[in-house]
Amino acid sequence: MKAIGIRALAVVSGLGLLAGPALAQSVSGTAYGAYVNALGVTSQSAVASVSDTGGLAAANADSYQVPSAVSANWLSATSSGAVGSGSDKNSGAQSVSELETVSVLSGVIRADVVTAVASSYVTGTGAGSNGTGSGFANLVVNGVAVITEVAPNTRVTLPGVGYAVFNEQTPSGDGVTSSGIRVTMIRVVLQDALTGAKTGEIVVGSAASSVTR
Amino acid sequence: MSKARHSSLALGALAAALIAVACQTEPVGAPSFGVKPPPPPKKDEGGCANFRLTGGGRIDERDHTGFAKSTPQSRDFATFGFQARPTKACPPTDGSGQFQWNEHNPDGFGGGFSFHGRVTFFTTPTDETAGDSRCGRFGGSGTLRTRNSGTSENVPFEVNHACDNGEPGVGNDHIKLTISTVYTRHGILSGGNIQQHRLTGNF
Repeated sequence: MKAIGIRALAVVSGLGLLAGPALAQSVSGTAYGAYVNALGVTSQSAVASVSDTGGLAAANADSYQVPSAVSANWLSATSSGAVGSGSDKNSGAQSVSELETVSVLSGVIRADVVTAVASSYVTGTGAGSNGTGSGFANLVVNGVAVITEVAPNTRVTLPGVGYAVFNEQTPSGDGVTSSGIRVTMIRVVLQDALTGAKTGEIVVGSAASSVTR
Repeated sequence: MSKARHSSLALGALAAALIAVACQTEPVGAPSFGVKPPPPPKKDEGGCANFRLTGGGRIDERDHTGFAKSTPQSRDFATFGFQARPTKACPPTDGSGQFQWNEHNPDGFGGGFSFHGRVTFFTTPTDETAGDSRCGRFGGSGTLRTRNSGTSENVPFEVNHACDNGEPGVGNDHIKLTISTVYTRHGILSGGNIQQHRLTGNF
């Protein structure tokens, strides 16, 4: 395993803690660049996370590498959120994860930029979440350039490896008083060639947000 | 050829900016590669704000012309995240919070960059959004890490406006950033959200 963070920044601001203890609303958000549980390695890049009354968390790194699994540069993960207080019924959380010059499985999947955006809000009349803004720049899969937007939850077979899900979006909440979404831009599931059993997992570009009133 | 021209323009702009800032009075904490930043924005130009702002997301199209994402072949977009608020007493228009901005355009300033700033002032806007109660202005200084021109510390920045125009933020909210004399970008959100929250007695 080789995880490199030439210069890492992880800052959490707790200003939201000053908002007082009586708030019923809450928000949460999490973002990170990459996670590997494969080839005998478990590794995760720095995570930015906020919860409860919100705040801002940022985690940046120049590079990240797990040989034969993932390499990437300019990782940036940011999560922010805030809850309304008093008569303010609005709360929101947003998370963004980005990586540049991404290579997965030694080039089976490549992209110049991977961007995951998750956004959730709740107002006095309803709640909603979306992954709008998530995408790839110059994505290449199995040697083929992907020149159109990748629809949510697109599954692609990786011969001899397993499969990958691109732009995976998983919603949560009731849409009235709560809402959330998790966006995972690349999820590779490694499978045993004979049995099909899952043998590992690689995640690149993950952002999640949720709100509750 | 176009790329070369853009690179040349970017380098020219950088050189001009470096010359310009070198003529300024040296502030506390000069950047690491010897560039003296210009004076910070005039924070007292705006009025007191009775709200705080949070946000995160992405902008693609420039100058509020639309909010479509760039094509999958383009890296001409920026992402951001922030939390900003005024301090309890105003005036002065001091503020606090953090700001993150990532520019991906390789033909733009620095070949793309990451910026992380600390908020030191927060006011109502003074630009074309002045008078719009949905918008706020804040700024301070931070670390600018370019892809091809190194890292600079204590670089002043100003979010000229960040506007919460309702839910969802995509297609509605908009933001404008200026970093020193070298970069400005504004647009309607193509992803994410900006929220404004009224301040209460205990903040």
